[in-house]
Amino acid sequence: MELLIRNGFVFDPINGVNGEKMDIAVKDGKIVDKVNESRAKTIDATGMVVMPGGVDIHSHIAGGKVNAGRLLRPEDHFKDVERKTAVTRSGVGYSIPSTFTTGYRYARMGWTTVMDPAMPPLEAKHTHEELSDTPIIDKASYPLLGDWWFVLEYLRDGKIEECARHVAWMIKATKGYAIKVVNPGGLEAWGYGRNVESLDDPVPCFGITPREIIRGLCKVNKLLHLPHTIHLHTNNLGKPGNYLTALETMRCVEDLAENGKPVIHITHCQFCAFKGDDWRTFQSGAEEIANYVNAHSHVTLDMGQVIFTDTTTMTADGPFQYTLYTLTGNKWTNHDVETETSAGIVPFHYKRKSYVHATQWSIGLELALLIKDPWKIMMTTDHPNGGPFTAYPRIIAWLMSRKAREATLRKINPKARSRSLLPSISRELDFYEIAIVTRAGQAKALGLKNKGHLGVGADADIAIYNFNPETMDPAKNYRAVRRAFKRAAYTIKGGQVVVKDGEVLKHMDGATMWLDVQLCEPCEIELNENLKRRFKEYWTVEFENYPVSEDYLAVSHPIPVKADV
Amino acid sequence: MPVVKAVSCPVCGSLCDDIELTIENGEVVKVKNGCAMCEAKFLSHRSEHRIRKPLIRKDGEFVETTLEEAIRRTAEILAEANYPVLYGWSNTSCEAISVGIELAEEVGGVIDNTAVVCHGPSLLSVQDMGIPSCTLGQIRHRADLIIYWGCDPWSAHPRHIERYTAFAEGRFEKSAWRGYMAKIRSLIGLKKIRSAAKRLVLKEPSEIEARLKPTFVPSIAREGRKLIVVDVRRTKTAEMADFFIQVEPGKDYELLQALRALVRDQELEVDHVAGVPVEYLEEVVDAMVSCDFGALFFGLGLTMGGAKLRNIDAALSLIRDLNMRTKFVIMPMRGHFNVTGANMVFTWQTGYPYAVDFSLGYPRYNPGETSVVDVLLRGESDAALVVASDPVSSFPRKAAEHLARNPLIYVGPHMDVTAQVADVVIPSAFVGIEAPGTAYRMDHVPIPLKKVVDPPEGVLPDEEILRRILSEVRKIKREKTKAEAA
Amino acid sequence: MIVNLYPLKEFKLPVIAECINPEVFKGKSIEEIGRLEVWEGNKQRRLNELFKLEAEEAESSPEAPVITIHGDVSRVRRIGAGMKNGEIVVKGDAGMHLGEEMRDGKITVYGNVLGWAGSMMRGGTIEVHGNAGDYLGAPYRGSTEGMKGGKIIVHGNVGREAGAHMKKGIIKIYGCAGQFVGFRMKGGTIYVQKDCEARVGACMVDGTIIVGGCVESVLPSFTIEGLRKRVKIEEGEVVEAPFYLFTGDLTENGRGRLFVAKGPNPHLSHYEKFL
Repeated sequence: MELLIRNGFVFDPINGVNGEKMDIAVKDGKIVDKVNESRAKTIDATGMVVMPGGVDIHSHIAGGKVNAGRLLRPEDHFKDVERKTAVTRSGVGYSIPSTFTTGYRYARMGWTTVMDPAMPPLEAKHTHEELSDTPIIDKASYPLLGDWWFVLEYLRDGKIEECARHVAWMIKATKGYAIKVVNPGGLEAWGYGRNVESLDDPVPCFGITPREIIRGLCKVNKLLHLPHTIHLHTNNLGKPGNYLTALETMRCVEDLAENGKPVIHITHCQFCAFKGDDWRTFQSGAEEIANYVNAHSHVTLDMGQVIFTDTTTMTADGPFQYTLYTLTGNKWTNHDVETETSAGIVPFHYKRKSYVHATQWSIGLELALLIKDPWKIMMTTDHPNGGPFTAYPRIIAWLMSRKAREATLRKINPKARSRSLLPSISRELDFYEIAIVTRAGQAKALGLKNKGHLGVGADADIAIYNFNPETMDPAKNYRAVRRAFKRAAYTIKGGQVVVKDGEVLKHMDGATMWLDVQLCEPCEIELNENLKRRFKEYWTVEFENYPVSEDYLAVSHPIPVKADV
Repeated sequence: MPVVKAVSCPVCGSLCDDIELTIENGEVVKVKNGCAMCEAKFLSHRSEHRIRKPLIRKDGEFVETTLEEAIRRTAEILAEANYPVLYGWSNTSCEAISVGIELAEEVGGVIDNTAVVCHGPSLLSVQDMGIPSCTLGQIRHRADLIIYWGCDPWSAHPRHIERYTAFAEGRFEKSAWRGYMAKIRSLIGLKKIRSAAKRLVLKEPSEIEARLKPTFVPSIAREGRKLIVVDVRRTKTAEMADFFIQVEPGKDYELLQALRALVRDQELEVDHVAGVPVEYLEEVVDAMVSCDFGALFFGLGLTMGGAKLRNIDAALSLIRDLNMRTKFVIMPMRGHFNVTGANMVFTWQTGYPYAVDFSLGYPRYNPGETSVVDVLLRGESDAALVVASDPVSSFPRKAAEHLARNPLIYVGPHMDVTAQVADVVIPSAFVGIEAPGTAYRMDHVPIPLKKVVDPPEGVLPDEEILRRILSEVRKIKREKTKAEAA
Repeated sequence: MIVNLYPLKEFKLPVIAECINPEVFKGKSIEEIGRLEVWEGNKQRRLNELFKLEAEEAESSPEAPVITIHGDVSRVRRIGAGMKNGEIVVKGDAGMHLGEEMRDGKITVYGNVLGWAGSMMRGGTIEVHGNAGDYLGAPYRGSTEGMKGGKIIVHGNVGREAGAHMKKGIIKIYGCAGQFVGFRMKGGTIYVQKDCEARVGACMVDGTIIVGGCVESVLPSFTIEGLRKRVKIEEGEVVEAPFYLFTGDLTENGRGRLFVAKGPNPHLSHYEKFL
């Protein structure tokens, strides 16, 4: 099938296209140089913004934890429903939408690639079953490896290459995409209800520190040549004063960087940019983080923006979720996974009038605006932790318009407002920068070669928004920006028009991407033997039943990676 | 003879996946590692109760029919219904459940799984309180205190204790009582001998009992893991416990609230709670707060007695309180091998774990209103599809009667009571023996089910049958729309 | 205007009819009202397919219409859900979720109601002359947003968990109540004139429960405060009889007050030793 998108204002930062009026040609699901104009279906994008399909580097959309959150909250769903239509399945929202609804809602906003960032390896099949039931969008998931006993033991013993081989096995076995590390060491400690307090706090019973885990996995990541860096949720997340931990974490891998390439991704950075000794003296640490990031090139971040709404927090950080439960007294689900990781879920309401919540809201935006290079910071809400992903249009408006920020600032807690850095920041992102923080930067950080751009050969994932940058100023007309991003004029996925004017036209499967890590020595047999021997000691399932077979992926998209071990 | 290893056992929620089967001439002839229930299921799946041909009721009598006709009739019944119920799902694969939900949505029906008559109430309380839990391996590696409340794993989940809890070997809980283990195993062996003897030797049971009476009844060593059992009667599991609390029937809630008060260092103004002296409870609470990692398993004895779902509310609250003092987790002992999977698939596709009503075109959930038992008790449904379950024998009489009055379709392997009163019967393959799929263990760990032998000729897996019904329903609807347009 | 609704048949399927609401009827002609959408099972219908509708002009015409339903509508759910003013009278039994989330106005039922009547209610009055089902005034599954205001009066018996998670308002039950009256309540008042099944006030944090009849038992996590000669239910309604006053629930550090009449409860006399 051929498609021609005519005359739109194209924003394609990876190829340096900044709002030029041009045509985009599509054939067989890919961007091509040109198509037969008489045969091709034409979309008139005159007066509209054309971007690559949105890419989300961090959004909890599938798996055991997300589903436990869904189960926990019928009251979250019952007033936000999606009726079955002739082409779509029914479902519910709000903060933890059912799988079909998740796919549709992303597509409606023009997003076409989403990464689920926390997959407990033992329950990887569950994550993939849900991802396969998430329509339209392409996706991938990051296995949680920072507290896996094999990693702790090999790194403690200094066996980096052994560790790398096992991590490679694990990524393949779980059909994963990147190394996810959450509160390294803290999750193992949480097995007995404890936590680690700093980068040098030893992990109980394992004789290793968080610093060693982070550095070790950074090295493993390099040995394996994985397309993304390690994806890290820092220690002490959600605690006042933790910006120091975040800075220390970034510093601890400075020496591992080569050629100015990133080696670490600090995720939902808002949650680890807290200054102050306690909740009373709580303050933004965004400036310090931004200053560091502006001076260094080995780190990328995503925002983890907070939205004022009732949402559901869920992370693999068991001890953090427990703290949140003790702070709120809300319902609390905990799910520790043997030998590997943990998880926690607590419903949470971010209130404008709360000093802490309002300051958190400010921190996210301060980070995005104070970090000068948009390729280093990506837009996320850490869905649903800071708020549901459906709030992206509002964040885009805040980033593009000082007026939008001021409108919200007026309504927040006065103390938070008076301490916020936002009134002093005049920066307003343009569409080119928005395209970076919402797709191009994310695709680049993830090493997704065919996503996040509209160059020839890229996947034909395209979003068209009904906003005319020539006649309208987004900074002034931020409400129009919000409307445009809420309901894409067109979303095109793999060359097919799936959304028109915010309505889903088609239910189709998206692909699940995973890394087929190829080790260079024929050490696979030995590795398997070693694993088999130890399997029964570590887990309660059989070795044969552990890996995720490709049958679990509705559309399997393996990406070959050649490792150095 | 081919031996298949690492087979998952499609019986209970423990979902042991280390079963070894010997296959001969397309039949399972030997089962290794399994418990008695597991052996029985694998060895008897080809029994005479098996349905081999689709049946359809004509003038009150079953007549054999073709699969096509049975499916056509099924689709007609469902497509015409104004409020059909689709029930069962806990003894089939997640893949089949997924198609079932799509079918329920297509026909605007109420879909419900067997949780509605087992741990459904537990889930309602989980939705109020949350649930601090973990996977079973975590308990195996770390728990030094195990509580079984209102459940008897020794009989209902026979390998639960040895694989996951008190008798399991963990990384941090290296038991000092390997010696006991051997004896426990011999006890299990004894049980097998006893059941075999009962089956084979036609002697008085008491005589067999006398011969097999164990000379040793294990009690857990003071060092290492401790076991607490709370039940209304002294079960087999209770016999092994360090503390056995015999709770007055229906008074679990009072007992749990008293424990909570004690955990919170409150003084009680009564001497006995639920028939148990408060002093004894204080001792139990001391054991609870001083453990490093505690785990509470609860069964239907807790969910269904007295305060019902609020028993679970109190149990969850107790665990929340205990987590202020130490590490503690809680888990329901799920019965059917894939009832957890049914809850999981329901939840990710509809937002709710059971009792989902699609009649308005989107998922609605309110057990009591949208739960199948209540729908049947009020006599609201006008058609029913039952998959891999026998509600007519397990539901309250009035509900079962209404179910039987509905045009009723049964999909399953056995000629059970529901099948006998059905209007259409479609035989299906045993999931986990004759058909592959996925099931979820009670701790939410997904485990693949294997196909080890072929189903009887012409018999399809649930998933395939449901797919055909769904496509037939869509065909009928299309025909209807066309006819209306014309 | 008074709108009379007569069921055209005995309903077998559940009917969802949140449009039966004075706010919705207001300003509409009887034909327009007849075209309002309702669900019967999985089929969408118009109100006039299920009910015969008659309008009559009231002598004193109040602003919002009065809706009177004549007949058994126990299968009809969500009658008066979210209503803000006006009045509904049901001469017969009413279905689930009657007056759910209602804010003001009045619903009177001369018959029984099923579960979740007055669920998440915020204001207004519901009066039931027969019995009420489970979860009277209680919130939706998983929610802690119970009744926040208004008044529910039941002249018959009620099922379990009446007033669960209640924050404000008053529930008066002149019959008996099932277990867990005032479960996890945070405020407001519940009065049960007759007997109460067990676990009254379980996990209550605040608020008042008054039981005039026999209670099966008082939870061990309640502590006795004293004896009271009389108890006030609301302005103008006082019960003159000796009551035990318990506070709890200790497991939630609660300050809830549970009054239990002394007379019908001799089995609680052992608490007197603490006074």
